[in-house]
Amino acid sequence: MAVAGLDKQNSVTLGRILGRTNVGEAEESGGKMTATVRIPEDQLVYDPGVLVLPHGGILELTLINDDKNTHCAVLPSNGDTQFIWLVNHSKGTATLELDGPGYYWYGSTTGNDEGRGLTGAIVVGGNVPDEAKLDRPPQPQVEV
Amino acid sequence: MAEEYVDAGTAIRYQDLSADKGVAPPVTKGVTYDRLLNARDEPQNWLTYYGAYNGQRYSPLNQINASNVGDLKPEWVYQVGSMGLHSGASTYAWEASPIVVDGTMFVSAWDGMCFALDAATGEELWRYKHASPFDVSLCCGNVNRGVAVAEGLVFMTTLNAHVIALDATNGEKVWDQPYGDVRAGESATVAPLVVKDMVIVGSSGGEFGVRGHTDAFKRETGERVWRCYMIPKPGEPGFETWPQDGEAWQRGGANCWITPSYDPDLNLLYYGTGNPCPDFDGGVREGDNLYTDSGVAVDADSGEIKAHFQYTPHDLWDYDSVMEHLLFDLDGQKLAAHFDKNGFMYILDRTDMSPVRVAPFVDRIDWGEVDEMGNVTPKVYPDAEGDPVHFWPGPAGAKEWTHACYSPDTELLYVPVQDVGATATRRRREFKESIPYWGAGVAVDGDDQSGYVSAYDPRTGQERWRWTNDLCMCSSLLATGGNLVFGGTPTGEFHAWNAETGDDVWKFQCGSGHHSSPSSYSVDGKQFVVAPSGWGGWAEGFLPKMLGSSHGSALFAFSLPE
Repeated sequence: MAVAGLDKQNSVTLGRILGRTNVGEAEESGGKMTATVRIPEDQLVYDPGVLVLPHGGILELTLINDDKNTHCAVLPSNGDTQFIWLVNHSKGTATLELDGPGYYWYGSTTGNDEGRGLTGAIVVGGNVPDEAKLDRPPQPQVEV
Repeated sequence: MAEEYVDAGTAIRYQDLSADKGVAPPVTKGVTYDRLLNARDEPQNWLTYYGAYNGQRYSPLNQINASNVGDLKPEWVYQVGSMGLHSGASTYAWEASPIVVDGTMFVSAWDGMCFALDAATGEELWRYKHASPFDVSLCCGNVNRGVAVAEGLVFMTTLNAHVIALDATNGEKVWDQPYGDVRAGESATVAPLVVKDMVIVGSSGGEFGVRGHTDAFKRETGERVWRCYMIPKPGEPGFETWPQDGEAWQRGGANCWITPSYDPDLNLLYYGTGNPCPDFDGGVREGDNLYTDSGVAVDADSGEIKAHFQYTPHDLWDYDSVMEHLLFDLDGQKLAAHFDKNGFMYILDRTDMSPVRVAPFVDRIDWGEVDEMGNVTPKVYPDAEGDPVHFWPGPAGAKEWTHACYSPDTELLYVPVQDVGATATRRRREFKESIPYWGAGVAVDGDDQSGYVSAYDPRTGQERWRWTNDLCMCSSLLATGGNLVFGGTPTGEFHAWNAETGDDVWKFQCGSGHHSSPSSYSVDGKQFVVAPSGWGGWAEGFLPKMLGSSHGSALFAFSLPE
C-alpha cells in the first residue's frame, strides 16, 4: 500500500515505519545458511529488513554499513545476544543460532536508530521435530 | 575504484560488554541425586525449585528470626531490565525461584535469560540468553519459573518449548531438546526438576487447545525417556470422561506448567494439571474431562499415571489445579496438601490420592458446593450463550500458581489468597490451531477484591491466623526455621510474618510487585532471603486493578547487619 512517506525518513512522521522494507531470503548451500544485510545511505534501515530463513540453525550473516553515519546491530542468537559495531563504510560478520519456527527482531541501539527505522526482523520457517509434536490428528487451521 | 570497507570484525557476545565474569565456581559438579534427596540436610543451599522434593518451601535456617527480623536490610540488588522488541513485551515478569549452591545463585528471568550470580554479593558470574521468537504464543506473559541443577549442569525451559542444559561453570549450552510444538500454541515456562538421572519438564499452552503433557529426558544427554499426556486418547483409562465420538480430547488442555513435587519412597511425582479447553464452554466437552484440574501421581520411572484426584470435574470456571502439592507426614499418614483455584484446601492421602479432608480457604465462594470428601455440586457457571454470569472465585482463582508453604516446626500450612470474582459470558467459537480457545468473554472484578495470607492447620482444616491486604496476595510464600513466613505484595512490599501468630514483623518496599518465589540460603554462615521483584504476567486475569503498575526487574537479597 503506497501511503506516501511511511517508508521514508522525515516525511509523514519522523522516521520510517518498522517493517516497510525489502524482504530477502538466506541462501543455503552445503548445510550452511548465509545472507547479507546492508545499511543504505541515509535510509536508517536494514536491507533486506525482513530476512527469511527456511528453518532453524546457524546463519552466517554479513553486515555492511554503506551509510555515512555509524550504526550497530544487536542480534538474537542462542547463548547470548550478538553485538557488532558498524562504523561508516564498514563490513563485518555475525554467526547466529536461531530456533524455528518464529521470528526475531534486532536493531541498532545507537541513539534512536531503532525508532527511526533500524529495526530488522529475521523470520525462521520450518517446523519442530516430529518427536516434539502432539500425538493427535491434524487440526483445523486459520484460513489465509 | 571503490574504497575498501573498514573491517568491522565479528559480532561478540553482548555480555562481553559488561562486568560479567564469564565463569562460576564448579559448585554443581557434586550435586548428585543423593544430595537432592537430602536437600534439607544442606540448609545453606536451596537445591531444587521448592527447596526440597517435598514441595514445602521451607528453609531450616534460623539466623534471621522473629526476634531480629526487624533489622533485616537489603545486602545487594541485581537488576535486569528489558531491551529491544521481545516477545510478550508488555507482560514480562520475574516469576522464578532462585537456586543456590554453595555460594552461587542460579536464576532465570523472562525471555530466555539465565544468570549465575555470586550469592553473597550479587555480582554477575555468567549469563545465558536463549533467543525467543517474538511471535511465540504466550498465554500468560513472558515468564520463566526457574532452573534446576545437578552434576555440573543447569537446566532451563525456553519460551519456545525447548529444555536446555548449560555448563554451570560458564553458561555454555551442552544440549538442547525441543519438546513442544510452537505452531500448536505450546510454550514452556516451568522450572525443571531433576529426579535420578532424568530432568523432568511440562508444557504450557492450556488456553490454546493443546493436549497437556509432561516429559522426562536423560539428564546427561537430553535423550527422551518418557512422555505422559494428561488427556487420555481413545482406548486409554479416563477417555470415558470425554465425548466418545468427538474431537474434544485432542485439544483438552490439562497442561503441567508448574514443577511437580516428588516422594522418593513411593517414586511418585505429584502434578497439578491445568484447565480444560475451551475454558468456559463445557458444551463441547461433556463429561468430567480427566485429567484436567487434577492432582495426578505419576511413576517417575515409567511416566505412567498411578493415581489421581480431580478437584473440579467438568470445569467451567478456568480453575487450573497446577499449583503445588505439599508433601508431609502427620500422625503416621503420608499426606499431600493442595490449595486449589476453586477456593478449597484439600488434604489427600498421597499413597492413593484419596481425600482426607476438604475445607474452604477463601471467604467468597459461590461457583459450587464441595463436601468434605471433595464431591462437587456446581451452582453458578456460564451456560447460555451471551448470558453474563458472575462467580467467586474468578478465573484468577482463590490462589494462583504462586506457592503455599509448610513449616514442620509449626505444622501449619501458609497460603497466599486472592478473594476476587469475575464475570464470564459464554461465546462459542470454533477451534483453530494456535488461536486462543476460551469460549467466553471474561472480565475480572476490579475494585471489589482483597487478599490475605492465612495459616491453616492440616489436622483440622481450620484457619489459625490471617493477615489481610487491600489487594490480592499473589506471591509465593517461604517458611523458615526462624519462625517466619516471607512473601510479597502486588504493590512491592516484601513482608515477614511471625509464623505462629501472623504478626506482620517486617517489610521492605522493593519498587515493583511480587509474583515470584522467594528462597533462603546462607554463605559463610550469613543467612540471606532472596526475592525476585518484577510485576507483570497475566495481571489482567488475577489483578486488573494493578495492570498499570511498573514492571520492575530486580532481585533483592536481604540479610542482617554485621
